[in-house]
Amino acid sequence: MEKQLILFLIVMLPVAGAFFLPVVGRFSEAVRNRLAFLLVAASFVLSLTLLPSVLNNQVITISQNLPLGFNFILTADALAVFMAMVSSFISAIIIVYSFTYISHYENRGEYYLMVVLFLGAMMGLVFSGSLILLYVFWEITGITSWRLIGFFREKQHVLRADKAFLMTVFGALLMLIGFIRLYVETGSFDLQVIKEAVKIHPLSGLTVALIMAGILSKSATLPLHTWLPDAGVAPSPVTALLHAAVLVKIGVYVFARLFVVTMPLDIPWMNVIAIIAAASALVSAGAALIDTDLKRIIAYSTISQIGFIFLGFTVSNEIGVAGSLLYILMHGLAKAGLFLCAGIIEQNTKTKDITKLGGLMYTMPVTALSFLFCSFSVMGIPPFGGFFAKYMVIAGTLQAGHLAIAFVFLFGAVLTILYLFRVFNMVFMGDVGSSSAKEGSPSMVFCVALFAVLSLLGGILISYPNNMIAIVIKQMITGSIPT
Amino acid sequence: MPSLFVLTPFLLLVVVNLPFKFLRKQIALWPAVGGMLVAQVVFSTFYPLNIGRGIADPFEQFFMFGLSLDSLSSIMLLIIGIVAFVSVLVASSMISEERQVFHFLNLILISVIGMNTTVLISDIFSLYVFVEITALAVFVLIAMEKGKFAIEGTFKYLILSAVASVFMLTAIAFFLMAVGSTSFAAIKDAFASNSSDAFLLKLGTGLFLCGLLIKCGVVPFHGWVPDAYSAAPASVSVLLAGVVTKVSGVYVLLRLFGTVFILNAALQNTLLLVGIISICFAAFASLTQTDFKRMLAYSSISQVGYIVLALGAATPLAFVGAVFHFFNHAIFKSLLFVNAASLEKRLGTTDMDKIGGMGSKMKVTSATSLIGLLSTAGIPPLSGFWSKLIIIIALFSAGRPVYAVIALLASALTLAYFLSLERKVFFGKVVASPAAETKASFGITFSEVLLAAITVAAGLGFAFILNTWLLPLKEIVH
Repeated sequence: MEKQLILFLIVMLPVAGAFFLPVVGRFSEAVRNRLAFLLVAASFVLSLTLLPSVLNNQVITISQNLPLGFNFILTADALAVFMAMVSSFISAIIIVYSFTYISHYENRGEYYLMVVLFLGAMMGLVFSGSLILLYVFWEITGITSWRLIGFFREKQHVLRADKAFLMTVFGALLMLIGFIRLYVETGSFDLQVIKEAVKIHPLSGLTVALIMAGILSKSATLPLHTWLPDAGVAPSPVTALLHAAVLVKIGVYVFARLFVVTMPLDIPWMNVIAIIAAASALVSAGAALIDTDLKRIIAYSTISQIGFIFLGFTVSNEIGVAGSLLYILMHGLAKAGLFLCAGIIEQNTKTKDITKLGGLMYTMPVTALSFLFCSFSVMGIPPFGGFFAKYMVIAGTLQAGHLAIAFVFLFGAVLTILYLFRVFNMVFMGDVGSSSAKEGSPSMVFCVALFAVLSLLGGILISYPNNMIAIVIKQMITGSIPT
Repeated sequence: MPSLFVLTPFLLLVVVNLPFKFLRKQIALWPAVGGMLVAQVVFSTFYPLNIGRGIADPFEQFFMFGLSLDSLSSIMLLIIGIVAFVSVLVASSMISEERQVFHFLNLILISVIGMNTTVLISDIFSLYVFVEITALAVFVLIAMEKGKFAIEGTFKYLILSAVASVFMLTAIAFFLMAVGSTSFAAIKDAFASNSSDAFLLKLGTGLFLCGLLIKCGVVPFHGWVPDAYSAAPASVSVLLAGVVTKVSGVYVLLRLFGTVFILNAALQNTLLLVGIISICFAAFASLTQTDFKRMLAYSSISQVGYIVLALGAATPLAFVGAVFHFFNHAIFKSLLFVNAASLEKRLGTTDMDKIGGMGSKMKVTSATSLIGLLSTAGIPPLSGFWSKLIIIIALFSAGRPVYAVIALLASALTLAYFLSLERKVFFGKVVASPAAETKASFGITFSEVLLAAITVAAGLGFAFILNTWLLPLKEIVH
């Protein structure tokens, strides 16, 4: 098959296919569920087929000129394909988990529509070669996550969904102002044109600040992070998808795409962002340490870990960026696993309050073990995948000479270990509570176990992801530094 | 060709009023009027695609005033056709009494004649006359149900329209004094030649603007809008909000201030200021509304603000954006008013505090309202996003970044009040609903789907719309 067609299908299959899901669901639930899985899996498989050519330093582009420079451009380079593979793979597992999780709630048609549309928009965003297309997909992810957070229709839930939507849209509008400033200055939304243009006219600080506002709001980084813990009222597969694996990575990805690849930022800017990331990592780790709601703790943990990913990109040396990319993968796997474990616990014990839970180690052993494995990866304990990523980020920071920031993040890593052990202790150890909780359904347990095993394998077989990331980095860095 | 758009509805009006009983039967009336409007949509769609151009107009001599069909008129005819058709569809499922149907359709025909002629005409005095004809038909339409609020709404609209008429007529008198003619071409030449009567021209422009701003219903002349929109019967509020105020106010503003008058700096600043104040004030006012239709009315004021703002930027690109937003706004605002009609028919109320969780019970209304409101808030990829984007880019390029930023951030406000609407009405738990529960009718459901489809299609196919209808507009802007 032609590569352009594959690229087009990766984006359009889930985007267009999503709208058929509610229709199919009217006739057969089982067919709809499988179709949803197939659409997402197809995106993953098709991304995989692009892998050999992008690793050979090929860049695949689809371009359609539209009036006023609102061009439709999809570009697949190594970074984009890497990101697409990570997102679609994790999403596919989450959909399998949803089969039983969501089966006894209302509005299932809307659920699958939104989840698959979300993934499709994510694919579009990852491959966008023009700022305007990126913005379009960015907002589609916002719409879908709004519907998904308010999925249970409780008044409180819908309010929080609105809050999340408004905060991210506000950030996105600021970002759009930044994009329009770029457009007025360079005459184009095309990233390639902008890349050439900023070599001559450096970016204005205001534009950078505006775009950063959008990125920080989407990636739930201080001070625009408050929507993320609140959004934990969504169904657990959704929180896994949105808050751990995919949505919050959008901001990080766009940061890498714009400010590492297309228009590299100056050192002072990078330092400012590193400091924001450090503050964000510490504050949210502190919040995670005192909260008692299981999903809120994991959400705060996400905010904290996003700080690490930002840090690696800001030091702009190879090892730091490699650490960040690796952590996008490892954190996605481990955090999705944690949220899905939380989903099993929540559904079987009917509570998310960790002070009311206890002793689940004995009644749900597989979930407990999976939770532990995923926690190890997030804590950064060798030989789990998270360890290598965190190590590389901090090594990169040291290489760049930021001793103080590296130290802050080490402290953040220690806090991570503390709060995750605290959660594990309170939920799984101790006396068996009054609840007669059972293990989740086989397919749900299989999914969490899979994430746990992958977190471990990711560490043991670190050379495979690392080799790929090395090529991604080569393309990113050589592309970004004018030779 | 242009005269057909005036003569066809006129002939239909004469025919249905012939003294034959069978002509007054509903079964003949609905298809006749509906079919005529569909024909209008079809013909005005084909015009920019170069089909039917160059055919000599046999009725040209019939009119004392010049009719001319350019790309701006053709878009307007398209919008009038679509919205009037939807209004008739909605009415067909809301009005059942024979006599009322007859009255309704007569008035609709008169208002369509008025609007069609307004957008085709190229003479400022005749323009005024047809704006008034439209208004007269609509006054009666709003008051048709004879309720207390309906009379109050009509009265406010009537009085303010009368004030607007005084302004506009006086302005026309000044133009006549200064130019000696009331045709667009002559006035345009007078502006361009910088004649000695510049003061009269300025005075006329200022007065005309005051009259038009009342007709547009922008802040600070917006007082009549929420009352008139919410008091009108469902089908009429679709027509009123979708096209009537848009054509008799906003179109005239676009035509005169975009293509005929030359705007000086003071006038540009006035338009920008009025636009931005309308956007923000009406958005804040919307936040506090508890009635579905009143909220939509305030939202309408806010969206018209964007069009006025774009006109103040006075560049061809801004004009394109303004017309695009005009089109989009007519479609999605009509859609939202049809949603309101659907709620009203089903529950007997549009008070948002009394309804809730209708998302699971009224799936089509819920889904289409979502499209309408996201488009209004300028969320991509829906149509409203592209028109707002063009307006904002045009403002930036015209060196008005502050206005651009405020206008853009006001989108967040728009989203905020629409999210509260969605939360109260659709997206939530079901509230015990009032007794009157009837199934939504085919007419309403079909209109909702049709308008939502246009909104989505205009968003995804914005490039086609821009190339075919809108970018040619740059030629008629000076």
